[in-house]
Amino acid sequence: MTQPKIPVDLILSKLAEEAEKVQERAQKASDVLLEPLDTQIAATPYEVVYQDDRVKLKHYLPITATKLKTPLLVVYALINRETMLDLQPGRSVVETFLAHGIDLYMIDWGYPTGKDKFLGFDDHINGYMDTMVDFIRKKHNLEKINLMGICMGGTFCVIYSALHSEKVKNLITTVTPTNFDTDKGLLHVWMQGLDPDLLVDTYGNISGDVMNFGFLLLNPARLMLDKYVGFFEHMENKSFVENFVRMEKWIFDSPDLPGEVFRKFIKDCYQKNLLIQNKLEVGGRRVDLKKISMPLINFYGKYDHLVPPEACELLTQKVGTQDATDVRLDTGHIGIYVSSKCQKEFAPKIASWLMERDEPKRKQSKRRAPARKPAARKRARRK
Amino acid sequence: MKKEDSPDEGSQDILATWMKSTGDIWGNMLHAWSDMGSFLNTPQKSPNSEAESSKRATLDAAQKSFQLFSKLLLNPNVMESLIKGAGALPDIMVKFEQSSLNSFLQLQQKWLQRANSLGKSTEAFKFEDLDENAFRAWADVYEQEFQKFFNIPQLGLTRFHQEKVNRALDKYTIFQTTFGEFLRLLYLPISHSLTALQDRMGQMVEEEELPEDAKIYYQMWIKILEGHYMTLFQSPEYIQTLGKTLQSMSEFTMARNEVLEDMLSALPIPKQKDLDDLYHELYILKKRMKMLEKKAEE
Repeated sequence: MTQPKIPVDLILSKLAEEAEKVQERAQKASDVLLEPLDTQIAATPYEVVYQDDRVKLKHYLPITATKLKTPLLVVYALINRETMLDLQPGRSVVETFLAHGIDLYMIDWGYPTGKDKFLGFDDHINGYMDTMVDFIRKKHNLEKINLMGICMGGTFCVIYSALHSEKVKNLITTVTPTNFDTDKGLLHVWMQGLDPDLLVDTYGNISGDVMNFGFLLLNPARLMLDKYVGFFEHMENKSFVENFVRMEKWIFDSPDLPGEVFRKFIKDCYQKNLLIQNKLEVGGRRVDLKKISMPLINFYGKYDHLVPPEACELLTQKVGTQDATDVRLDTGHIGIYVSSKCQKEFAPKIASWLMERDEPKRKQSKRRAPARKPAARKRARRK
Repeated sequence: MKKEDSPDEGSQDILATWMKSTGDIWGNMLHAWSDMGSFLNTPQKSPNSEAESSKRATLDAAQKSFQLFSKLLLNPNVMESLIKGAGALPDIMVKFEQSSLNSFLQLQQKWLQRANSLGKSTEAFKFEDLDENAFRAWADVYEQEFQKFFNIPQLGLTRFHQEKVNRALDKYTIFQTTFGEFLRLLYLPISHSLTALQDRMGQMVEEEELPEDAKIYYQMWIKILEGHYMTLFQSPEYIQTLGKTLQSMSEFTMARNEVLEDMLSALPIPKQKDLDDLYHELYILKKRMKMLEKKAEE
């Protein structure tokens, strides 16, 4: 019987080589880490044009002539912060929108404190959002504005557009959960066994750090270990370190979630799945998705582990509009906004889609009337 | 014929003499102390001061009481009864000891029964797989055998506070147990993935395909680990444990806050409940104000 060959000598020499590299890397890394680093996020200039309690309305200063008549209001989720859309120059959705001549507004939800624990869906959607939309409409003397929502902000935009369809010209939803009855995403599975009443009654607002810990637990091998091994392997690269720190800054900048929003989101959406069934009630009014009559484009990530495609793709079939498009990108939940590949196909696609729908009198006469059968709806799949 | 003194009467005479002499000695001593006190206090205070006269009156009263008590003891009937009582004392002591011993034995028996039932509680798990079942076994033992001690009804003025403290301790123990089980589950993929990596490496050795680069082993391990976590996170056991951990954490936090609120109520610091009431009022007022503003604008 022959003994299997184990290249011990080669393994050891590789290890020695690697140890030398690590030493060299550590030396360079110390230089990088000790010198000034540019890790600023959300650097694109803006001004706060309206404020209601903790909630601010940001207006980005244009960098080129405005090409769209209708301004765009971006509504981020109440989890994490909107700075993700402007992480760094050259990789910024905000910058791309401005470069395409979009007049851009964004809601900054701020940091909820104890006094905000009673603020629910109604206060955020029919309260803050509606006030901001009215402010922009009044400022621009327009009946309708464009609305774009991100993740939970997208869910808010869907609800808002159903309740205030007269104020929304075009609706863009990105990684937006609307169908919660799926076992594809771990969040959807975990939320079924949660007791939101107990959590909200105990803690009031739900701690951002606790939620972040939950998100890390979705993939601890990658998010709590491999990610930092990757950092260690590239920390002699200044640009890599700067980008890494920017992302860390964004990820762990987690405002608490107002308790009543959490309660409704978990109970009515995750556990009862009321929104997609047109049974959700907000502010005493039923949310009927058929009332979403404006054009809709719905982006989602094929590899999104937080909001899987199954949670997003039903929306276009349930809304009232015939001009509804699904766009599935080969990326994850965050990759849509920050990956260099998606920088070319995400924000520019939105800009062109809005452009097509911005001058109704001129464009609509040229464009064919949209097909009325659901089967005729566009479903763009990017690979 | 001279009547012979009984031994009792003889002892009574001796006792009476002793009592009298003792009474005289202590009476004289009290007077001497009293006089000495007056002498020492003379330069500073008048002997007729209120404090001095009160002290003297107390000493006189004590002396009289002692003398009366001594005289009473000199009465043969009283002395007889006292001696009889002293004779009965060992019986009382024996009864008292017996009763205490019985109570202690009963208590010990109950404890033994309880200890015996601990074995019954853990029988289902048998501690064969100590790693996997220890937390669940402990949770069962705790709930069946120990938790009831925290539920013993509390009495008296502070009963509500004691109950809150007991509840916090109870919830803390439950939380620690469920959290321990949760952490054990989180650790499982690590141990399983390392075992799987060893198996894989063994296979590679057999196939003579062992990589030279250490990084490849790490990548293999991370991939296996990720897979194990994904399997774990979708398992009903994990989902159930996660739910239990969050629930027990919330219940402990709630119980702990109740104890803290009790403590705070003694201090000039607003409690969470006070703040919550205020926040809620503020919320209602703001909502009404915004509604009125909107109506006014329209």
